[in-house]
Amino acid sequence: MIKNRIKIFQFNNKSLILEKIYISTPKKKGVIQPILYFLMLILVSAISGILGALVGLGGGTFLVPIYTLYLRIPIAYATGASLISTIATSSGAASAYIKDKITNVKLGMGLEIATTSGSIVGALTVALIYSHHLQYIIYIVFGLVLLSQVYIQLTRSKYELPKEMKPDWSTKLFKLYGSYYDVVLGKEVNYYGVRWWLGEIIMFFAGFISGLLGIGSGALKVLGMDWAMNLPMKVSTTTSNFMIGITAATGSSIYWIYGYIQPFIAAGTAIGVLIGAFIGTKILVRITNRSIRYIFSAILIFLGIQMVLRGLGYGF
Amino acid sequence: MDFNDAIAYALRAGVIVSAALLFIGFLLLMIKGKAGYYSINEIASTASVVNSSYYSANTLIKGTLSFDPIAIMFLGLVILIATPVIRVVLGIAQFIKEKDWIYTVITLIVFFNLIFAIFILPSILHI
Repeated sequence: MIKNRIKIFQFNNKSLILEKIYISTPKKKGVIQPILYFLMLILVSAISGILGALVGLGGGTFLVPIYTLYLRIPIAYATGASLISTIATSSGAASAYIKDKITNVKLGMGLEIATTSGSIVGALTVALIYSHHLQYIIYIVFGLVLLSQVYIQLTRSKYELPKEMKPDWSTKLFKLYGSYYDVVLGKEVNYYGVRWWLGEIIMFFAGFISGLLGIGSGALKVLGMDWAMNLPMKVSTTTSNFMIGITAATGSSIYWIYGYIQPFIAAGTAIGVLIGAFIGTKILVRITNRSIRYIFSAILIFLGIQMVLRGLGYGF
Repeated sequence: MDFNDAIAYALRAGVIVSAALLFIGFLLLMIKGKAGYYSINEIASTASVVNSSYYSANTLIKGTLSFDPIAIMFLGLVILIATPVIRVVLGIAQFIKEKDWIYTVITLIVFFNLIFAIFILPSILHI
């Protein structure tokens, strides 16, 4: 028994938070620690999943920083688990959203050409970076992406619906029309998208970031749809949620062959994120767009700064 | 049952089966205390050496048939990755049925990208 204890401690001494929990727990069997570890993964990813579902992200935006900064999981495994869990959020939430008829499948599928291509390039790029042990680059890029999303969220927070813009050639060709019932505004909203080509360019970049950082890159997708294509926030958020699964599946297969997917971590994360996404979608309709953005921004700033500092070699 | 319902059910089924397999894999790992050559503590570690690069389709099938906990977890993850692929395939069928040719072509391109990443790239990279 004593031998067992020592083994357990040696094994997880890298993680400060985990250590605290283990100290307060009687260690009678070798399985208690793995169970606690698994439960912690589920808990952390469930919380990330709720946050993610609220803002149309895969949860990875919050998950990867928490895993790497607080649970000391290597960034390759953290991003691998995150990318896989993004699929869980997307597929889990997609069924609910399709029923709500807010998701615009044509819009999403059209933009997936760019995101899946971007994801392949991004995943191959990160494989190159990891193979040269340049992990710090990923920390810094991750932090900067988090911080840039704050700017995007805050500058757009004045509008519930986009300003009027004239339909262009792409509106007709790609049938970018749609309508949905907005619960907060209490009316049927008719909308149409413009500048499909600009959306595609931003989506390629979103896909690249998704493959590079193992996140759904939902905020960039939202930017592409509500800024470039002038679509309502609700449509871009839900359509983005639909898209991130397909983008992530593309990147995941490349992560798989390079070995960035650790089964235990990925399993706990996927289960947790599913639970979180389920709860998150229930809350989604009750929160207005503006309040989502403010909560979101505060958390992003905090995690973004920490990730950059970690990349530069300071603390954490 | 229309296409949207079919899609919603397919996604839900994929996610539920996947989550069930992940959980069964976890339980089996707790009961057996090891998977293959690896002890439970080697697997449930932050910096574990056990990862997806050792699990090809072959090892996965063999492992699952012999109730290897890790192989079952990986099978759950494979099914999870497959759900968006199914979504895209159903999308192609839907657009063909609606005779929406522009979106049929678009969805076929997305499908090609997925297949390229899943099957073609690994053989090009020789990993």
